[in-house]
Amino acid sequence: MKKSLFKKVTSLLMATALLAVSLTACKTSNSTSKADDKVYRTVDEIKESGVINIGVFSDKSPFGYVDENGNYAGYDVYFANQIAKDLGVEVNFVSTEAANRIEYLQTGKVDIILANFTVTDERKEEVDFSLPYMNVSLGVVSPSNAVVESLDDLGKNDQVIVISGTTAETYLTKNYPNIKLQKYDSYAAAKTAFENKNGVAWANDNTEVIAFSLENEGYTVGIPSLGDADTIAPAVTKGNESLLNWLNEETVSLAAKNFFHEDYEATLKDTYGEDYEDTLVVESTSLTNN
Amino acid sequence: MDKDVIISYIPHFKEALFLTLKIGWLGILLSLIIGLVGASLLHFKVKFLQKIVGIYIEIFRNTPLLIQLFFIYFALPKVGIQITAEKCGVLGLGLLGGAYMIETFRSGLEAVTTIQTESALSLGFSKAKTFRYIILPQALSMSIPGLVANIIFLLKETSVFSTISLMDLMFTAKDLIGMYAKTTENLFLLVVFYLIMLIPVSIIGAIVERKVRYAGFGD
Repeated sequence: MKKSLFKKVTSLLMATALLAVSLTACKTSNSTSKADDKVYRTVDEIKESGVINIGVFSDKSPFGYVDENGNYAGYDVYFANQIAKDLGVEVNFVSTEAANRIEYLQTGKVDIILANFTVTDERKEEVDFSLPYMNVSLGVVSPSNAVVESLDDLGKNDQVIVISGTTAETYLTKNYPNIKLQKYDSYAAAKTAFENKNGVAWANDNTEVIAFSLENEGYTVGIPSLGDADTIAPAVTKGNESLLNWLNEETVSLAAKNFFHEDYEATLKDTYGEDYEDTLVVESTSLTNN
Repeated sequence: MDKDVIISYIPHFKEALFLTLKIGWLGILLSLIIGLVGASLLHFKVKFLQKIVGIYIEIFRNTPLLIQLFFIYFALPKVGIQITAEKCGVLGLGLLGGAYMIETFRSGLEAVTTIQTESALSLGFSKAKTFRYIILPQALSMSIPGLVANIIFLLKETSVFSTISLMDLMFTAKDLIGMYAKTTENLFLLVVFYLIMLIPVSIIGAIVERKVRYAGFGD
């Protein structure tokens, strides 16, 4: 009896050690063989394959969502389609969640992330951002009968809903460590939870909370802007200079034609009206903007 | 892998481990109660209730925990039943586990030969006493391997709790990756903490299994 138990413990320990070793091995093989075994694809390789993989949201209207016909649509998707058209390739949309956007790039599952990706210093260490195409800051929406106008007014047990992996989460964690956050892993889950009144307020990009309050009755954006103003930009795998340079030039040449205003009018105007057009849209005119 | 990063993340994972264990064990306790009651109802062939137990097993064994949690957490509030995330986790795990536990206990009960019941009855034991003192101890002893497997299975199922905003081990790792993008360190800690949680269960299970192996002949 004792012997077999001992055996079991040893084999478990060995399995643990093996796992640890294999994990470390993964890491080293990644970093040493980067030169000849890169995870990303250059512009030429994408063109050759005839398909570009672009990561977008599928549940975040009106930026990236699937419409009633089952097609991807929205402000980000409009831009993505233009990118594919100008590259002369087909586009393959990959649905992403906020929390796995960086991994998708790091593992080469997508060539570009166009999922309303806010540029931050932490993220710049992991991926390369090209020129911005949108402005954003944080906002907080709450039910109209109990509007939250300042985060300092929150009660001790009040929970604020955030989506895991978003800038709202990072900002609140850093600046309001005492606020209890209720975290969800998808936009759809957070939205339903908020509608079910599981939290007193929902903090997210202000574009989204404004859209939510315009589309759903009984909600007010009590805090329209929170923290610093940020920009949203396409991201590519770290080191993919070929695609990054191509994207920068693409953005500038599109901006020269006022493409992003056109995009706004096609996809966002129904939700936001004309008032937000100049605050939201960025037309990057110079290559050294970012 | 960065050692300092790993050390700085350990408190987060410790907190997640306690939450996972708390909800996990409460859910398992609930599932054991459901399992015992359900299996007894099946054993005594209680009319009507027996059918209900059958339907319950089919529903909860044939739908994923994720869907059950979604339903309890997101759909029930629409009809006015509001349940906190923690209670929802315990309930979901208990209901899913209950369906499995009933089947495990039932197989244990069925493994006790009818001659045992007949002998007990002929010796003057009442039906209830036969069940309590003759059948149940043997059935439990034979159910232990299945129970341990179920318990480990249920503890691992906690990894879908992220859907209902519970910061279990899996969600904590995903969340930290989302915020600070230290993927390798987080995945390493995740594996280690799951092992910390489950290896003792597996070892204790093996010991208990040996200690209570008194049922059956020739052992």
